[in-house]
Amino acid sequence: MLGLLFWRKVRTFVNALTHLTPYERVRNAAFTLAGLGLLVGLYALFHKLVAYLGTVPLIGQLLLWKLTAMVMLATFMMVAISGLLTSLSTLYYSFDLKFLMNAPVPLRALFMDKALESLFFCSWMIGLVQVPYVLALMRVNHYGVGFFLAFILLMLPFLALAAAVGMTFTLLLLYLFPSSRTRDVVWVLSSLSLTVLYGMVRFAEPERLIRPDALQVVAEYLAYLQAPTAQYFPSWWLTAALKAAAAGKVAVLARNAALLYGSAVLVYAGLTALAGRVYFVGYSGAQAGRQRRLELRIAPMAERLLGLPRELGALFWKERRTFFRDVKHWSQILLIMGLVFVYLFSIQRLPLDNADLKSLVSFLNVGTAGFVLAALGLRFTYPAISLEGRSWWVLGSAPVSVGAIMRQKFLFSVIPMTAIALVLSLATNHILQADGFSAGLSTGALLLITWTLAAMGIGFGAMFPMFTVENIHQIESSLGGFVYMASALGYIGATIMILAWPMQMHFQERFGRPGAWDWNLVGYCAALYLVLNAAALAVPWSLGRRTLERYEQ
Amino acid sequence: MIEIRGLVKRFGDLTAVDRLDLTVPAGEIFGFLGPNGAGKTTTVKLITGLLKPDAGSVRVAGFDVASQTLQAKRALGLIPDEPFVYPKLSGAEYLRFIGELYGVPLSEQKRRIPELLSLFELTDWGGELLESYSHGMRQKIAIAAVLLHEPKVLVLDEPIVGLDPKSARVVKELLRTLARRGTTVFMCTHILEIAEKLCARVGIMISGRLTALGTLDELQAKAKASGSQGLEDVFLSLTGGHEYASLLRHL
Repeated sequence: MLGLLFWRKVRTFVNALTHLTPYERVRNAAFTLAGLGLLVGLYALFHKLVAYLGTVPLIGQLLLWKLTAMVMLATFMMVAISGLLTSLSTLYYSFDLKFLMNAPVPLRALFMDKALESLFFCSWMIGLVQVPYVLALMRVNHYGVGFFLAFILLMLPFLALAAAVGMTFTLLLLYLFPSSRTRDVVWVLSSLSLTVLYGMVRFAEPERLIRPDALQVVAEYLAYLQAPTAQYFPSWWLTAALKAAAAGKVAVLARNAALLYGSAVLVYAGLTALAGRVYFVGYSGAQAGRQRRLELRIAPMAERLLGLPRELGALFWKERRTFFRDVKHWSQILLIMGLVFVYLFSIQRLPLDNADLKSLVSFLNVGTAGFVLAALGLRFTYPAISLEGRSWWVLGSAPVSVGAIMRQKFLFSVIPMTAIALVLSLATNHILQADGFSAGLSTGALLLITWTLAAMGIGFGAMFPMFTVENIHQIESSLGGFVYMASALGYIGATIMILAWPMQMHFQERFGRPGAWDWNLVGYCAALYLVLNAAALAVPWSLGRRTLERYEQ
Repeated sequence: MIEIRGLVKRFGDLTAVDRLDLTVPAGEIFGFLGPNGAGKTTTVKLITGLLKPDAGSVRVAGFDVASQTLQAKRALGLIPDEPFVYPKLSGAEYLRFIGELYGVPLSEQKRRIPELLSLFELTDWGGELLESYSHGMRQKIAIAAVLLHEPKVLVLDEPIVGLDPKSARVVKELLRTLARRGTTVFMCTHILEIAEKLCARVGIMISGRLTALGTLDELQAKAKASGSQGLEDVFLSLTGGHEYASLLRHL
């Protein structure tokens, strides 16, 4: 039966591939190329890091394997948390579950089918990112192809084990609390754990790893490097197996590989057995709609009282209500708060001891905070249009223009994003005690970046609408999401390049160079900056509006 | 009224709607029939502006859907076959939202929303999120939303599917009342009995083409030559359904 279920997935995949339109082929090719480009970029980055660590006298190799163990541990944690979220959707809320549950499919086979689906979706991307790291490790240390082969073979049970942790948690939680509300609790819990995990990693100050002077006793540092990292975790078995593969120690490799494969088989056998008992209880409970009686009050909308025109006010009112009732959004807000806190902590810990450097960092903060805002835009602004989902017909058939819908989405995004931008900019400038010019320039630039990014997010979101997806991650990781992110990063890079000129003149003035300000150049920069922002605002916006106006449901 | 002239819609090699000409005057309930995949839902989407035609035009209440889109949409009310509505709004909130979008005055909303909820026996559910509604209840709230803004042209795609008998009866009565008041009703349906009882005229579409159009008497007279009785027989006669009768008997 599992074979038959798997066959339908293969057929679906093959049919999707063979029925691609020429546009879809070009689009997918572009997407694949861009993905490969990203992997090559990561490889270059990892290569630099690995090559640097490898050259540290005496402890280079120890450092490398310590880093590898930490990378694998982080991977394990990320896949486990991702598995928790993914399995919640696939095991309990997939669109085909009603059909499959009605069909004469044994429950355990159905569970395995969905478990394998969860495994794939929660791990493929995180797993893929390991490839450039391992290739960098291979290149720097001159390991053979056998090492890479061992890595591929060992990754399979490793990722399967990590995903199983998340799945087991979901399975038990839905069994113990079989309700649709559990989904909300899981969303909040997993986001909280991600926030805590991220905070823990950051507050542990991993940069101290390559600063032996940070530990008082050298022997203590060496002992730390040599000690296994989370010895009883599959991440350590994988690291030990890879280390053995690198050193040609076949027995150690075989022992750790057996541990990984043996555990994976045992864990999945146990999961299947457990699913036979508990899966249906959770599934059944998760389907029940939640009762939440709201007051039946027909009063003027707050948005109208604030002076918004009728249609814009109504759209904003609808957006506000639906957004804050969706727990998935709150959990993301928790993550953002954690991110902002860690960001400011990192700024505060920067070892900067002179005022010029501090002002320079305040300017560079435009880039890093801009990146954070672009990432937030990818999560909140870009999907805003697509999140109308199958209800799009309501707006599509209503007497409301696409422009008005886009303006409302923009407004809803830009207000919180401006607040975050202000916190990031003002707090950073305060921590750094940046001079007035640098602080003013960076705050102004960051505000403009925020507004432009919000317009870009809505514009690209309208250009690539996805009204029939099952979850928001499919929207973020789509081609449109990639195009938005690439354009946003390009725009931020261009902003930094243009503003670097006045910044340079400002520094020259600080260093006492007379006539540092070339006003012609300032005018040229201002014009260029204006053109850049006008283009970044208007082009995706108008293209998106036209695409959405022509959109056929 | 609805005026359709030379309407064409293609999806790749498939012509879903092929040179459709049709006029539905004000106050008429028009039944649009046809087998699955005939192009009925595509026609509904073209009338309501959810799809752009490859050729031809649609005018709704005198407004061209392509060039006077917002005016046309303001005059239109759509009830789709699958009424997906915002799951995180309550039933009453959804009506409130639609009321604002279509410019229904607040005082009117205050009066009509409780009335409409009561009419469809949703008063107790008005404060619940739509995600907890059944298919039939969502269908009812979609119908209530359309009635709230009193459109001049009402387009319904399988409006009775999923409704309980009492609500189905309410909807049928409502459609008759609205037509008497001058509302144009364009209704796709597979339920021939409804078409027989409600519709002044019926059109049958097959493979994107309007193959029959007229009052029930006209269509029955047309089909009588082949010994057909009732709309079902007329429908089967026109769509070639009788070919499968022997196969069905065998099964």
